[in-house]
Amino acid sequence: MEKLLEMAKKVFDKAEVYSVEYTNNSVAFENAKLHDIDSKFQSGISLRIIKDGKLGFAYTRNLINREELVQNALDSLKGGVEANYDFPLTKELPQLDKYDSSLEALSSKEMVEECARVCDYLKSKTDGEIEMTSLTSIDQIRIINSEGTDVSSKGTIYSGFGGVMYPGSSTGIWRVFRSKKFEKISDDVVKEMIDLYRLSSKVVEPKGGKMKVMFMPNSMITLNWRVFSGTSSKSIYEKTSPIADKLEEKIFDKKITIYDDPLKDKYPGARAFDDEGVACKPLTLVENGVLKNFYYDLNYANKLNAKTTGHGYRTTQWGGDPITLKPVPALTHMSIKSGNKSFSEMIKSIGRGIILEGTLGAHSGNIPNGDYSVGVSPGLYVENGEIIGRVKDAMVAGNIYETLKHTVDVSDTLYPCFGGWMPAILFDDVSVATKK
Amino acid sequence: MFEKLQGILKKVDADYGDVRYEIKKDTVITFNGKELTQIGSNSTDGYVIRALKDGGMASVVFTKEGDAEKSVSTVVENAQLIAKNIEKPVRLAEVEIVKDTFIPALKENPRKVSMVEKLELVRKYNDIPLGYEKIVTTSISYQEIIREKYFISTEGTEIREDLVTTRLFGEIISKDGNLVQNVRVRAGGSNGFSTVRNQEKNFEERTAIALDLLKAKPVEGGVYNCILNPNMAGVFTHEAFGHFSEADIIETLPSMREKMKMGNKLGNNVLNIVDNATLPDQLGFYRYDDEGVKVRPTQLMKNGVLTGRMHSRRTASEFGESISGHCIAEDYRYAPIIRMGTIFIEPGVHSFEELITMLGDGLYILDAKGGQTAGENFSFGAQYGYVVKNGKVSEMVRDINISGNLYKTLNDITVVGNDLSLSKVGGCGKRQMNIRSCSGAPHILVNNLVIGGA
Repeated sequence: MEKLLEMAKKVFDKAEVYSVEYTNNSVAFENAKLHDIDSKFQSGISLRIIKDGKLGFAYTRNLINREELVQNALDSLKGGVEANYDFPLTKELPQLDKYDSSLEALSSKEMVEECARVCDYLKSKTDGEIEMTSLTSIDQIRIINSEGTDVSSKGTIYSGFGGVMYPGSSTGIWRVFRSKKFEKISDDVVKEMIDLYRLSSKVVEPKGGKMKVMFMPNSMITLNWRVFSGTSSKSIYEKTSPIADKLEEKIFDKKITIYDDPLKDKYPGARAFDDEGVACKPLTLVENGVLKNFYYDLNYANKLNAKTTGHGYRTTQWGGDPITLKPVPALTHMSIKSGNKSFSEMIKSIGRGIILEGTLGAHSGNIPNGDYSVGVSPGLYVENGEIIGRVKDAMVAGNIYETLKHTVDVSDTLYPCFGGWMPAILFDDVSVATKK
Repeated sequence: MFEKLQGILKKVDADYGDVRYEIKKDTVITFNGKELTQIGSNSTDGYVIRALKDGGMASVVFTKEGDAEKSVSTVVENAQLIAKNIEKPVRLAEVEIVKDTFIPALKENPRKVSMVEKLELVRKYNDIPLGYEKIVTTSISYQEIIREKYFISTEGTEIREDLVTTRLFGEIISKDGNLVQNVRVRAGGSNGFSTVRNQEKNFEERTAIALDLLKAKPVEGGVYNCILNPNMAGVFTHEAFGHFSEADIIETLPSMREKMKMGNKLGNNVLNIVDNATLPDQLGFYRYDDEGVKVRPTQLMKNGVLTGRMHSRRTASEFGESISGHCIAEDYRYAPIIRMGTIFIEPGVHSFEELITMLGDGLYILDAKGGQTAGENFSFGAQYGYVVKNGKVSEMVRDINISGNLYKTLNDITVVGNDLSLSKVGGCGKRQMNIRSCSGAPHILVNNLVIGGA
């Protein structure tokens, strides 16, 4: 890496070498039986260079031919991608507790045993079809640049998901788990899955219309993606954010506080620096319903005459292969501040409504505008504070800039879910279309 | 290269093993609005080993040659661990042993078109929407992905195949006041750079739709009879039906297997669905899948009756059905899984005009915008649509998302048009991305679709 940087520095004004190494193991159970074990050992190197205000970019898996990598970066300079910024000099970083060596020693056998334990229990308590996947991930990132930055980190994540599906539907009650080291899935989580599954096994056909809808953590990605879009410096620069001119204005209900905290190492995947080597810090996007900040990477901060907030990540909406992607502004550690009601108290306050356990099509529709329109997958129907069954073929639709104004309550706990740690949020006046 | 792979394969102490090595060459050019934001060509590579031992099957991916030994022992250990923990051993369906090199013929090899020429072409297309005041920005990319694949197995199969994909895709974004609308633009294919040339008219048409959407009203939620255009009907076929014809999706779901039994009548009599990746010059075209099986046309539904299924060697054996050659990986970072190639509803006899007259009152829905399924339920968005009144297409509507139940909808497809069209750009995200996923249909008439409106 150092040799590559030295070589690049001779040719270019500024250079950055990003390297990553990761090991993943996954164990998958289908219909409560072991089905797959897959392992991956991957690494790669990515080079960003700046010369005369233009950006060059190149990457490879194996640093066999340094000259070729530098040449590829040089070739890409000719396109004329503007880069009027400097790479950062990052010296001091907060120390994060994000690595647990015990995960390196965790065997596939132990993962299989834990999945089997949970699957067997769920199978004995329900008539559903059981699926479960558990994954380990050990990653090492190092970034060095021509300003003198040399930052690195190593982290471990044990994660996965398990679900009980209604027979013949491939939809059901899912829960996500995530930790820095191997942990057994708690009995409370398993019990909640069983209870919700049992309460919702009957199919009901209520009338549609405006009603209360509770977005469960697994459904929050629907709202999150629209928040990502609206508060991104890229959207501000491209004039596609409907809230570009609304800083310090109230855009959501006062119960809504949205923040991004990469330093919170209680959760796995914490980051002390982003993928551009900029030190991370917490950022409040919305405080008590008032829009406070947008998030920036080096590139868009420069274009908008602002400072980076340390949100340059090599990712896309769908994740992706970091070495092949240039950093873009991304909210990777977003969360919503918890409220003061428990999940069960919130259900009791629903006269008529839907608990949106999961969604179909969170990625479709007009995301920049904040519109969403999702199939329920599943949607638990509530009347007079009790779950009485589940709805099929229903859609929940709206615009987040309306829906989040009608917040009734935010749950008192954050749950791991697809996309981070989120509360459940109950909204009023949300449109639900059903076949009746 | 094959010799090097044999060196790895012979260390795999298993009943069956295969190694796939790939060199992947990516070229990308991206404009966001007027600005060029990415350009470059790069090459990466890596290996996938699969092993079947004592009835357990596992896979490993590695990118450093030095990790080969560790990978070989890991995959064999994991296969044995699976074997110890399953009741029914995994078996692979018998296949023909193949030694072949297949380098597809291209109409203009993209490797021979200079970066400067590619850049100017994309810039020219991107400038078309940007010439309009209410188009605030665009996101237009050219991508060229070349997979140079080497596959060997312990059975003696040895295949060298190239997959060359060119794609031009992105979004045109219009804005009026606080209202933002976006429309997708797509071109590309599997047979060379010519698939992205002469797209000016395509960009003009998509720009006009993005501008018209600023004046369109949101659709009212409810239940409608609808005509779906070929793109929308193709995405429905892929999302709602096609995934259940992938054997690995239903393999371990007993109730789903029951519903998807061969001979079951699932759809309207008018419905014939096939997956045919052997069709030349289409996006979904290939010769061998990523376990060395030659792909064959697979009739999935005939007159509404289930007649076939897409398989890997593992599922073909499990189901006791014919192999089909549908086990495909995104690239060297993944073991293959079952994927559709070119899936479509076969054309009927009615013209589009006849369909509109038959519809009478309802919606005409065009061009999919994301789709997803969970079991029998599906949901996907449309980029735009029109209200149809008394057999006439009238005002444009926006914010259309449809959801429904697969089995009900298959029966509610009452008329199939005669104007088959197949997609040019793919992107199916079933655990891995399949950019060659190709789908299509003629215009179809569907009754009773749930439309979610705001």
